[in-house]
Amino acid sequence: MKFFVNTRYLIVPIMTLLTIYGIFIGGAYSWLGVIFFGINILLDTLTKNIHLRADFDKIGNSYGVKSFQYSVMYLMLPIFIILQAVLALRLYQYTTTTPIENGIFFGFNYQIGLTKFDLIGSTLSAALWAGLGIIYGHELSHNKKEGFLVSRLLMALSGASHFTYAHVYNHHLDLGHEDDPATAPRGRNVYAHAWLSHMGQSKFSFDLEQKKLQKKNKSFFSYENKWILGYLYSLPSIILFVWSGGFLGIIALLTIWSLSNFLLEALNFMGHYGLIRKDGAVSHRHSWDNDSVFTSWFFIEIGRQCDHHVRGETYFWELDDVGGPNYGIGYFSLFVLTLVPSVFRNFVRQHLDKWDKDYATKEERDIAVRLNSNATGEVS
Amino acid sequence: MLALFKRKKAGYIAKVLPDDLEIFVKPGETLLYSALSQGIRWPHKCKVGSCGKCKYQLIKGEINPQLDFSYVLEPEDVENGYGLACQSILKSDVEVNVNTINSQERTCTALKQ
Repeated sequence: MKFFVNTRYLIVPIMTLLTIYGIFIGGAYSWLGVIFFGINILLDTLTKNIHLRADFDKIGNSYGVKSFQYSVMYLMLPIFIILQAVLALRLYQYTTTTPIENGIFFGFNYQIGLTKFDLIGSTLSAALWAGLGIIYGHELSHNKKEGFLVSRLLMALSGASHFTYAHVYNHHLDLGHEDDPATAPRGRNVYAHAWLSHMGQSKFSFDLEQKKLQKKNKSFFSYENKWILGYLYSLPSIILFVWSGGFLGIIALLTIWSLSNFLLEALNFMGHYGLIRKDGAVSHRHSWDNDSVFTSWFFIEIGRQCDHHVRGETYFWELDDVGGPNYGIGYFSLFVLTLVPSVFRNFVRQHLDKWDKDYATKEERDIAVRLNSNATGEVS
Repeated sequence: MLALFKRKKAGYIAKVLPDDLEIFVKPGETLLYSALSQGIRWPHKCKVGSCGKCKYQLIKGEINPQLDFSYVLEPEDVENGYGLACQSILKSDVEVNVNTINSQERTCTALKQ
């Protein structure tokens, strides 16, 4: 059981490595990351009705092995660096018009040089998996000092190092409140949310550093400014892509950053859409759970938002179903729905109605009624 | 050099004042986690280091802060040894001062009388 509980969370590391391999060997394999993403949507949809609980032994101890899980999460940093480096190599080959021919690298057959079609596939594959890798940036933002730094570096690969501070000091504290940019109010679509949440969190991190440095009587342009430092962590990626692809490299990096941040904000969007908190402590009712089996294992239980927001100190493998609001489907399936705002609004209406009726306090329900009428027909 | 071969300590003792309670804190566990799991009503809210409700004052001993306390606490508080229990891992036995919910209730009762 212990082996199974610990290895079931290796889907992302394995698929990321295969995506890197696909970009490296080239040709049609450049699209492997995109194909995996499609397969994942299918698997998540097919298994949407399977919901499992966290696994504990007879005396209540978790089967999760902390040292193993943390080693895997830390290892994802060099893996995601390699993902960018391999794409940069392909960009270099493309911009220097390297002829397309077969080669052997340490026993691996691979295609030297690539077509425009291969380059698009490689870039999209890298972008999608950089986005999915953000789950480790989230998990490592909690619990351990070393993990916090690794989280910042992981997020910096997507130009979003500010996330780590905003997530802990803003999202966890102000969840369900208008002060939390990561909570999507009723009526907003995922595209608007991606931009507003990203910029809102960066602004929060900016203000946080400004206040901290003012209290310490230090200049905003201090080496202690974690907002500036976070963006500086992204400089190696910028230099790598400009060096390897020039203008095309900038386009490729912007594609990676845009797509990966869109996926991150889509997770925030799905995790708290339309939920309301009127003061008081964060409760299970202030998050949506997405805990179908594929989502749970793939996203290292990030979908157990209800439990995570009440027990933020709890390791992902110990998070459990707490009977909170639940969409009943996984993240991949729900993500597809969010891409078409009218379809998502129709889907979410019944869940919001249920939330208003069964979960909301009287004060929260009053706010919901007001918001529903202000949402100009977008939400009932 | 020999310190490298020393057995890892099983844990540390945190003495909690003014209630005069003792908590056993396992290596890697936070002070708040240990306190709550041993039934001590330590004030808390977010448990991730952002709200400041689990603030305490370190009187004796050493801790390893997991987050920078200065985002939540005032600089003079940090200088005076205040910390956040949800982000404090112990490096030695400690003595801390915290206004537990029990002591808050006692104060309220005394004031009413």
